[in-house]
Amino acid sequence: MINVRIWFSKTGAVKYISHLNLTRCMARAIKLSGIPVWYTQGFNPRIYMTFAMPLSLGVSGERECMDIRLTEEIDLEQAAQNLSKFLPEDIAVLQITRPQMEFDEIAYGEYELRFETAEPQGLAEEITSMLDSDTVQVMKHGKKGDKPFDIKPYFSEFVQQVEQGALVLTGRLPCSNSGSVNPGLLLDALKSLRGFEPYAEIRRKRLLTKDFSDMR
Amino acid sequence: MYPKEIEKYLLKVQKPGRYVGGEPHSVVKEKKDVEVRFAFCFPDIYEIGMSHLGIKILYGAFNQVPYFWCERVFAPWIDMEQHMTENHIPLYALESGDPVKDFDFIGFTLQYELSYTNILNMLKLSGIPLRSADRPELFHIVVAGGPCACNPEPLADFFDLFFLGDGEEVDPEVMELYRQCKKEGTGKQEFLRRAAQIEGVYVPSLYDVEYNGDGTVRRYTAKEGAPATVRKRVVNNMDTAYFPESFPVPLIDVVHDRVSVEVLRGCIRGCRFCQAGFLYRPFREKSIETIDRQCQALCASSGYDEISLSSLSTSDYSCLLELLDHLHRWTEKEKVSLSLPSLRVDNFSPELMARVNSVRKSGLTFAPEAGSQRMRDVINKNVTQEELMRTVNTAFSEGWTRIKLYFMIGLPTETMEDVEAIVELGNQVVDVFFQNKEKPRGKAVEVSLSAAAFVPKPFTPFQWFGQDTMEVLHEKQQALKTAHRSKRVSVSYHGAQTSFLEAVFARGDRRLCSVLEKATEFGLRFDGWDDCFDFERWMEAFQACGLDPAFYANRVRDFEEVFPWDHLDYGIRKDFLLEECRRAYAAQTTPNCREICSGCGASCYKGGICVDKRKDLV
Repeated sequence: MINVRIWFSKTGAVKYISHLNLTRCMARAIKLSGIPVWYTQGFNPRIYMTFAMPLSLGVSGERECMDIRLTEEIDLEQAAQNLSKFLPEDIAVLQITRPQMEFDEIAYGEYELRFETAEPQGLAEEITSMLDSDTVQVMKHGKKGDKPFDIKPYFSEFVQQVEQGALVLTGRLPCSNSGSVNPGLLLDALKSLRGFEPYAEIRRKRLLTKDFSDMR
Repeated sequence: MYPKEIEKYLLKVQKPGRYVGGEPHSVVKEKKDVEVRFAFCFPDIYEIGMSHLGIKILYGAFNQVPYFWCERVFAPWIDMEQHMTENHIPLYALESGDPVKDFDFIGFTLQYELSYTNILNMLKLSGIPLRSADRPELFHIVVAGGPCACNPEPLADFFDLFFLGDGEEVDPEVMELYRQCKKEGTGKQEFLRRAAQIEGVYVPSLYDVEYNGDGTVRRYTAKEGAPATVRKRVVNNMDTAYFPESFPVPLIDVVHDRVSVEVLRGCIRGCRFCQAGFLYRPFREKSIETIDRQCQALCASSGYDEISLSSLSTSDYSCLLELLDHLHRWTEKEKVSLSLPSLRVDNFSPELMARVNSVRKSGLTFAPEAGSQRMRDVINKNVTQEELMRTVNTAFSEGWTRIKLYFMIGLPTETMEDVEAIVELGNQVVDVFFQNKEKPRGKAVEVSLSAAAFVPKPFTPFQWFGQDTMEVLHEKQQALKTAHRSKRVSVSYHGAQTSFLEAVFARGDRRLCSVLEKATEFGLRFDGWDDCFDFERWMEAFQACGLDPAFYANRVRDFEEVFPWDHLDYGIRKDFLLEECRRAYAAQTTPNCREICSGCGASCYKGGICVDKRKDLV
């Protein structure tokens, strides 16, 4: 058995597909691509697949990864091209590689929040002023119910960029098996604390290790 | 594709994946190459519509013509609908994201009477005038097909034309005619006049209706050269009929998430309550080779690992075991499982079960439809008590312990004893379990009985029958609940109110158009969904239009009465239905088409089993 890592993007319509449905879609495409893939050996054999960090519904991923196991050596570049053909248009296979790190080395995600607004400068000031408060409490949805959570330490380092008709925020947020901060919490804060309900397109640009280097 | 302005709302609704498209094998064309755009509207949510085989066949058939582009539209659930209405976002098609009001044809499939309000609501959400008369241009041609098109009169004022029978050939012919008319600069009225000349096309505005003083129909009069009776269209050769090699593969869970291949059309049985059993005659099978080829093609394009061999009664396929063995040559290797959607009590066997692996050991479902033998004879459900007991006994020996049985209450001639016999049958199944020596150890038997209220439908021998009133149905439900039953038997039943409404529209006439319009005005839709159904409001709509729903649902019709669907010809002679009705009341059964031809009239199409059984046709 040979472990390989599939790097892919999930954007457009497909960002509204849940993680569970993504796994089914991948399984169908892998099957159709003819990649010699290893099946689990249970009563209902399934293609063995593990995903690094599931994306929240509505969040695009520009460089996500998942692992499968091969039963024989194949040309990985060819396989990547082949697999892309059987996936929806909004999922692209970027590369298939040999894994160099374990999934639990992932510590951060680099995110971009793009607000389309006629007044990007005004919104930028609003966000800055909100993050200037001592604490920025929102309700965080967790396994044990909702509890208050201060997002200030996570979002104050975000870089703001004002464009024509848009405000773009970029920054890193914790993203690991031991805990993640959802970029959407900033929108929740704007809504609950400032009464704003702007729409932002959220993208995860890449996954990072604890020293901020690229996951490989 | 979806319109950009919808993006803001997608994360505020349940299952946004319903509204975005982008599935593999969804067909996207260059607009400049397209001459006729068809919005195929399914009047229910995405998960239901995407499970429907008919839409997949027609989507493929239309899109194989380079200059036609057919796209899918589903009814938005109420959360999404609210965002769309509040923000003035019109209903759009999933392939292009373009509003439905940009399309030449707006086509609906009529599967179920309680989806009629969804149709009007979808037109409303599209910003298209509801009534045909308010759409004078040759554009926004609103059409429909499907089983309920056999009595489309409650929808007659809204639709420009209906397709009767199989749509694979007639639908594209009408689209082609439209294309020609567009080129010639012909008006809508002339297009409709010409369309009415095509077999299988019913243009309701070309028929005048007169009513008698008692509210029944006096006569239908065809005008402007339209045929006096409209004959349904039939595709005789199922091996050469169009069948798609791919279809959009949904990215979210849908009800039937698998490859579905039709193995036969029609039914040999002639159960007297079953409208589909008469509408889809003659019985026509595909060859093993065709089915095999279509299964392989669809698995190869979709990546699914389950195939459903679908039809009204797949176990009536003449070489079923041979077909399954043929498919097993490749399905096992490819890890593909086979399933049969419907099993008959009288041909369930260990040999069959060994060949379909997707039937989980947890539960088996059969439909004896009635509890007593007399009642089953009345409805011509030719299943005996012995066969049922033998079948459940086999099932227990093979390891099943959960049996679900479907019944109807409110059938013609039904007495309280017949209703109680349903529960008695359940008790007897439990007895069979305890007497079975090979039953699985350590598992308890569970028998669930489910009773739906019978709805009389057009083109059946029960089309004259007055549906039981809701009071009587409630009494019968009560009898089911209170009858003495084993602890291992559970009983459930469906709402009498929805069945009543279904009965009204199934045999309704054109005057009901105003009720549907009123109901839509009241905001009624998704009537088949408990969370939306509002019976009181429906009764207000009837009252506002001065119509009595009981006239349509509960009234027993005279054998001489002219029906609102008498000018539509499905090949089944009214005399035959009448004779079947008389036999029903005498509890006489009629043999199935494979045993002997009973002369229903469908042989006029000179196809399928009629040719095999009636040598005089050849």
